[in-house]
Amino acid sequence: MTIHGEARVYCPVCQARFKFAPGWKEGDEVICPICGQKLTLRLTGSEWIGERPEKGAETEIRERVDEYARLKGYVFNDMKEELLEGLIAKNRRFGDFYCPCRMEHVPEFMCPCKPTRGGDVERSGKCYCGLFWKGR
Amino acid sequence: MAHKPKVYALTTCPYCKRTRRFLDEHKVAYDCIEVDQLDDAKQDEVLEEIEKMTGRRSFPVVIIGSEIIVGHDEDKLRKALKL
Repeated sequence: MTIHGEARVYCPVCQARFKFAPGWKEGDEVICPICGQKLTLRLTGSEWIGERPEKGAETEIRERVDEYARLKGYVFNDMKEELLEGLIAKNRRFGDFYCPCRMEHVPEFMCPCKPTRGGDVERSGKCYCGLFWKGR
Repeated sequence: MAHKPKVYALTTCPYCKRTRRFLDEHKVAYDCIEVDQLDDAKQDEVLEEIEKMTGRRSFPVVIIGSEIIVGHDEDKLRKALKL
């Protein structure tokens, strides 16, 4: 898909489209710059789609939260492992990595949730469940 | 204590687990409702109840007498339970 003539890649986690970088090709592994998800590039018709290579695996969520924190300059505290356990339990029971502290199992609350991607950590110093914290 | 404390928790929430662990460690008998394990109709009913009591849908919620504690807060738990 192109927006104003620019190729974009659809991320199935944050459901946003990010810029296709020059040199990328089908099958490449890239990181979504919006949510930190690792994706394999696939061309479907005329649209570039990012495929989750390890959908539902513990490594997927661990890599995603680490990448997201790295991209945004956020840090974790000693609750990280317990919150990851909660995310893994959410995936087991409700089919994806939804926020462990919320009741709603909808795409906007897949970790990192939409309010977090919208700047909650910048405003409040942390995300809703306290996984991501604003670094110094 | 006239009534047993009541805890509303999510099974995936680590703060809820800490609150329950705290009560267990202090040998406090309590009733726990695991909200995410309820069927849809009961869940809606309980969530409305929680929202009416606390003004939000945050967990855990602990009710000790007339005291309502939202979130894991050991100081507030100690005070309310006179520990």
